[in-house]
Amino acid sequence: MSRGNPLFEVELERFRYSGDGDDTLAGIGLSLEAGSLTVIVGDSGSGKSTLGAVLCGMLPRHDGEELEAVFEIQGQTIRHGTGKSVRIDPVGWARHVGMLPQDARHYLSGVRETVAEELAVGLENAGVPRAQMHARITALAHRLGLGELLDRDPETLSGGQERLVALAALTLDGAPVLILDEPLAGLDAAASARVAALLQQLRAEGTALVLLTRAVDGSVDGADHMLRLRAGRCESVPGEQISIPRNEVSAPDRRHSPGTAALLEFSAAELGYPGSAASAVTGLDLLVHAGECVGLAGPNGSGKSTVLKTAAGLLNLRAGVLRQGTKRGAGVGLLLQNPADQLFERTVHREVAFGLPRSTAVKIPEVLESLGLAGTGETHPYELPAAARRLVALATVLIRRPALLLLDEPTEALDAGGLEVLRAVIGKVLDRGGAVLIASHDEGFLIGVAGRIHRMQPVAQAAR
Amino acid sequence: MHQLPRTGRLHPFTVLVLAAAVVAITTAAGRWWLHTAVLAGCLLLAARAKRAGKLVRLGAVILVPAWGSHLLIHGLIDTGGGHVLAAAGPLRITTEGLVTAGQLGLRTGVLVVAGLLCSMLIDRHDLVAAVDLSSAPPQAGYLLAATLSLLPRLAQRQRAIGQAQALRGIPLAAGPRGWWRSVRLRSVPLVLSSVQDAADRSAYLAARGFPAKGAHTRLREVPDSPAQCWVRRVALGAMVLGPVALLAPTWVGQG
Repeated sequence: MSRGNPLFEVELERFRYSGDGDDTLAGIGLSLEAGSLTVIVGDSGSGKSTLGAVLCGMLPRHDGEELEAVFEIQGQTIRHGTGKSVRIDPVGWARHVGMLPQDARHYLSGVRETVAEELAVGLENAGVPRAQMHARITALAHRLGLGELLDRDPETLSGGQERLVALAALTLDGAPVLILDEPLAGLDAAASARVAALLQQLRAEGTALVLLTRAVDGSVDGADHMLRLRAGRCESVPGEQISIPRNEVSAPDRRHSPGTAALLEFSAAELGYPGSAASAVTGLDLLVHAGECVGLAGPNGSGKSTVLKTAAGLLNLRAGVLRQGTKRGAGVGLLLQNPADQLFERTVHREVAFGLPRSTAVKIPEVLESLGLAGTGETHPYELPAAARRLVALATVLIRRPALLLLDEPTEALDAGGLEVLRAVIGKVLDRGGAVLIASHDEGFLIGVAGRIHRMQPVAQAAR
Repeated sequence: MHQLPRTGRLHPFTVLVLAAAVVAITTAAGRWWLHTAVLAGCLLLAARAKRAGKLVRLGAVILVPAWGSHLLIHGLIDTGGGHVLAAAGPLRITTEGLVTAGQLGLRTGVLVVAGLLCSMLIDRHDLVAAVDLSSAPPQAGYLLAATLSLLPRLAQRQRAIGQAQALRGIPLAAGPRGWWRSVRLRSVPLVLSSVQDAADRSAYLAARGFPAKGAHTRLREVPDSPAQCWVRRVALGAMVLGPVALLAPTWVGQG
C-alpha cells in the first residue's frame, strides 16, 4: 500500500552492544509511510526492544556500542558507521519518532502529582498554552476511558493503567512515527478495544505505527507490513502467508481436580493500601482449594493485585475474614506483576539465593534449568530479556516450593516457549497438591489453565 | 473538564518571602520577646494547618543538638563574662555566656522553625510549577522537581525492595533491630536499583523535552493574586531594609 513519500526510512546494517561478540541486530530495512502499520513479531530475546531503541534514537548510548545504519527522516540523512560518532538530539528525534517502552512506567516522568499533569509534560515543555492542553488531555482521556484517573497520583496506578497513561502521553506528544512495544500488554478487554480504536484513528490522521509484539493480537489487524524478527534478523512475511499463531485458547487441563482442603479463603473481605482511605476491594468472597487452579479476571484497577498481595501477607485485611491453609505468608509464593519490583540483586544466582538456607540453595541450578535459565546464574537480571527477567522472578518464588502459588499477570512478555514453561510450572504445583491463583487479562491463557475464573469489578462499579 | 487539586490559596513565593522577611528582621532585632512571639506564631500557624505535632517533632530533632552546642560553647565555658555564677576547672558559667547561648538559641530556633513551617505549608508541586512559570532558567524547575521527588521516589523504591524481601521470608522491619537489619539489607539494592531506574527513565525524560530549552508552560495553575504580588514586594523590601534600619543606629553609634 503506497501513501506517498516515507516519513522514516531505515537501512540498518548491524548493531552490536558493547562487549558482545555478536551483532544483536543485522540486515533490517524499514520504510514507514504516513498512516502505515508495520508489525514486527519476535520471540523473547529476538531483539525487538533493541530495535525499538535504535529506531527512536536511544541507542547507541555508549562509545562501545556499534551501529552501522542510514536513517532518512524529514528529508535529512543520518549515517551511523564504525568509528563515526553521530550525536542525536533526543528532543529533536522524539519530535519525529516516539516510543512506548515495554516497561511503560519508564515513559512516565515521576515528577508530577496527577495523571493529568503527567500527560501534559511533553506539551508543557513544547510551550503549548494551558487551555489547549486542557482540551487535548480531556478529549484523549475521554477516548481512552481515563477520565476517572486524571486526578490520581501516577504512582498509585495499576500496571495496566500505567501502560494506558503512558500511551496517552506518547500520543499527546504527537510524533508522526510511533514505535509501540507490546502496547496491549496488561490491558483489559475494554481498554484494549479503546487502544485499538485509537491506533486506527492515529493511522487515519497520518501517524506511522510500528508494533513490536511477541504474539499477534487485535492491535495488528489491518497491518501493511508484517515482519518476523529472529535472532536480530528481520524477514518479511507476506500477508497471505501469515502463519504466526494468535494467543490460542486451548482446552483446560482437566488432570487436576480440587481437593477438600482450603488453602485460601476470603470472606466478605475489604482490602486496601496503607495511607489510602478508599478500599481497593470490598465484599470479596473467594475460596481456593488444594489441587485447584483459579483465575482472577477483571478490568484494570479492579484490585486483582491487591487480592494477591493480601494473600501473600504484604497487605493487611481491612475487614472480613482471611483464612489460609498455610501459616500466613509462609507456604505462599507471589510473582509480582512487574519483575522490577521483585528483583534487586546483582546476579541471577544471588537473586534466587537471597534469604535461602544453604540446604535449599543447592537446588538453584535445578530450578533455573527447569525454567530454561541454565547458564544465566552470573548474569545481571537487568541484562536479560523481559521474559527471562520474569522467569527469574518466578524462580525466586519456586525455589521455596510454595503450597499456594500466586501469579500476577504472569504471561506478560512471555513468548510461546515461556508460556509452555509457565504451564509446566502450574502443573507441577497442582501435581504436588498445591494451588495456583492467577490474576491476568490473558483470557486465553486463563481458560487454558484454570479450572474456574473469579471475576472482579472496580469498587465503584461493584457497589452500584 | 476536571479540576486540578488546590492545596492552598497562597503562592509558594509569598510564603517563602514572608518567612525570609520575618527571619531577617527578627534576627536583626535580637529581642527575646520578638523571637518568642515568632516561634509561638509559627506554632499557631502549624496548628491551624494540623501540622503542630510534626513541627515540634522535627524542630526538636534539629534544635536540641544545636541548643546543646550553644549551651556548651557559650553557657558552660564562657571566658569573657564578668558575672560568674559558677566555676570549676574548665567550666565557667557566667550570666553573659548564658544570655549569649539563649540569644543564639532563639535565633537558630526562628530560622529552623520558620523553614520547617514553610516546607509543611508549601505544596512541592506548586513550588515546582511556580519556579517553572517564573522567569528563572528552565533548568531550575527541572532541578527542583528532580531534587524534591528524589526522597519520595527512594522511599517508594525501598518499600518495594522491602516487600520483595518479605516475599523471600525476610520480615518487614519492626523495632530498632529490625530497622537496622532492613537498612543493611536494603541499602545496596536501593542504590543499584535507583541508578538503574534513573538510567531507564533519563532517555524518555530527554525525549519528552526535559529540561525545557525554550518557552514552556504548565498545566497546573498556581494560586496567586495582585494583592499577593504587592505583599511579596513589601516583604522583599522589608527583608532588605528592615535589618538595615534596625542595625544602622548601631553602626552610627560605633562610628
